[in-house]
Amino acid sequence: MRVLVIDPDPARAALVAEGLAGDDRPEVRQTARYDAAEVAAFAPDVIVVACDSADRDTLESLREAGETNPRPVVMFADRSEPGLAEQAIRAGVAAYVVDGLAPGRVRPVLEVAMTRFALMQQLRGDLAKAKANLESRKVVDRAKGLLMKERGLDEDAAYRLLRKLAMDKGRPIGAVAADLLAFAGVLKGDAS
Amino acid sequence: MLGFIPLTDCAPLVVAKAKGFFAAEGLDVTLSREASWATIRDKVAVGALDAAHMLAPMTLAATLGAGGEPTPMIAPLALNRNGSGVTVSTALAAALRQADPVAMAETPVTARALARVIAARKAAGAPPLTFAVVFPYSIHNYALRYWMSQAGVDPDRDVRIVVTPPPRMVEQLAAGVIDGFCVGAPWNAVARADGIGEVLLRASDFWRDGPDKVFGMTRAWAEDHPDTLQAALRALILAAAWADAPAHRQELVALLARPEHVGADPQAIAWALEGEIVFHAGDAGFPWRSHAAWFLSQMARWGQIAPDLDLMATAAQVYRPDLYRQAAESLGLASPVEDARIEGPKAFFDGQVFDPAAAGAYARSFPIGRLSA
Repeated sequence: MRVLVIDPDPARAALVAEGLAGDDRPEVRQTARYDAAEVAAFAPDVIVVACDSADRDTLESLREAGETNPRPVVMFADRSEPGLAEQAIRAGVAAYVVDGLAPGRVRPVLEVAMTRFALMQQLRGDLAKAKANLESRKVVDRAKGLLMKERGLDEDAAYRLLRKLAMDKGRPIGAVAADLLAFAGVLKGDAS
Repeated sequence: MLGFIPLTDCAPLVVAKAKGFFAAEGLDVTLSREASWATIRDKVAVGALDAAHMLAPMTLAATLGAGGEPTPMIAPLALNRNGSGVTVSTALAAALRQADPVAMAETPVTARALARVIAARKAAGAPPLTFAVVFPYSIHNYALRYWMSQAGVDPDRDVRIVVTPPPRMVEQLAAGVIDGFCVGAPWNAVARADGIGEVLLRASDFWRDGPDKVFGMTRAWAEDHPDTLQAALRALILAAAWADAPAHRQELVALLARPEHVGADPQAIAWALEGEIVFHAGDAGFPWRSHAAWFLSQMARWGQIAPDLDLMATAAQVYRPDLYRQAAESLGLASPVEDARIEGPKAFFDGQVFDPAAAGAYARSFPIGRLSA
């Protein structure tokens, strides 16, 4: 069985391809963009495509063209297994399957793709969170410095004041610190 | 959560969100920019999106299960009139002008020159010309096919029609992968501004105030959320009126040009807003069932749906002028009393008349089409 993975995100495509190859048999290829010549040459049985790929509409039209075209008809995976298409779409992947391919052979491919998509999303989310945390720590440090200078507080007292403000307003301490810095800037005439 | 595709006619959604029309109705809306029409359709079908900016015929195709699992959808609001266009490469434009200068000087231009170029290419053994559209179920596909056929060009046999995502049309035209395309704004203007293509036909030349995009959703969602739907329709109607106002043009262009919306050159976006796209005026939001019936007639003509289907009954299931009227009335706006009308004789560029009551016979009446072979 041959599987083509189309994903504008090469890292994610690699992750999916790796997962499929490790599984067992399928011959897997990955590409960022649909290319008619490549698809014709590789003749995949299953095309797994990311929902954020613009190529889905082109793949849809191949299914349309199937009637007048000797190439195998590509079918969306849904007719084979109830609920599979829904899960896949929610996970961000879709699959086009050559007509006649046993549904049982499609499920593991899609399951690997869905798991790997979720993994990638989690990795990205963790990275973004770590970045945001770092950013907010910097902002809190600057706000602390400002309070120490303007109010003559020590570091602990400055932090406690920020934390109290955050708790009173029910907002994250980073956001309160950012507000404080912005208002201080306005008072000093940085912005009007 | 509402989905949209980066095209100028997503404006009512973007405006309703940015200018507070959704908020004024108490709606907390997130707009989700999607990469393809297929993904919009699937996400709406499975409920990952509540509703979306859709190609009008998509709601019909989804309901009938053409190109996927059948999911009953409805279109209670049209988002815009006009906006697409047929553009060819500058090289093909020159060849057309050389082949038949008279036909090319007609307004609106006919495809007779194209027929001649195609005949000459066939005689010379050259490969067929390739045209791109955005989706199999789109006004773009049907308008291009209608326009070609009217001059004797069979779009299935004499040219190759492929599907290309709108943002890639211009680069593919520049690279010579395709010779022409029919796509929505702003991409015709982008090709024109870059000196890569020539716009032969604007949607309003093909069908004066013809339909284009709709606000679509599953019938199940609409039935489960009648109040939310009415609130969304009111917000979108007001947003469409805002978007039409010349005084807001500059702000609208700037809003659409932002990378999270359309992300294209503001001048190219402004081009189709000038005297072409209508969002609200002249009941532009009204989902005429005759529009749906015309789309269905073309779907039948090109073999996308069963030839014996009751076209008006399907149109009535999907297009919901009653829901539009309810929203318009609560805003104190008048709306048409009829659900369908005869389109023409001043609607289509060839002067043909479309009577929705005879949509099936109309679909079979064309000399070129998959029903007459």
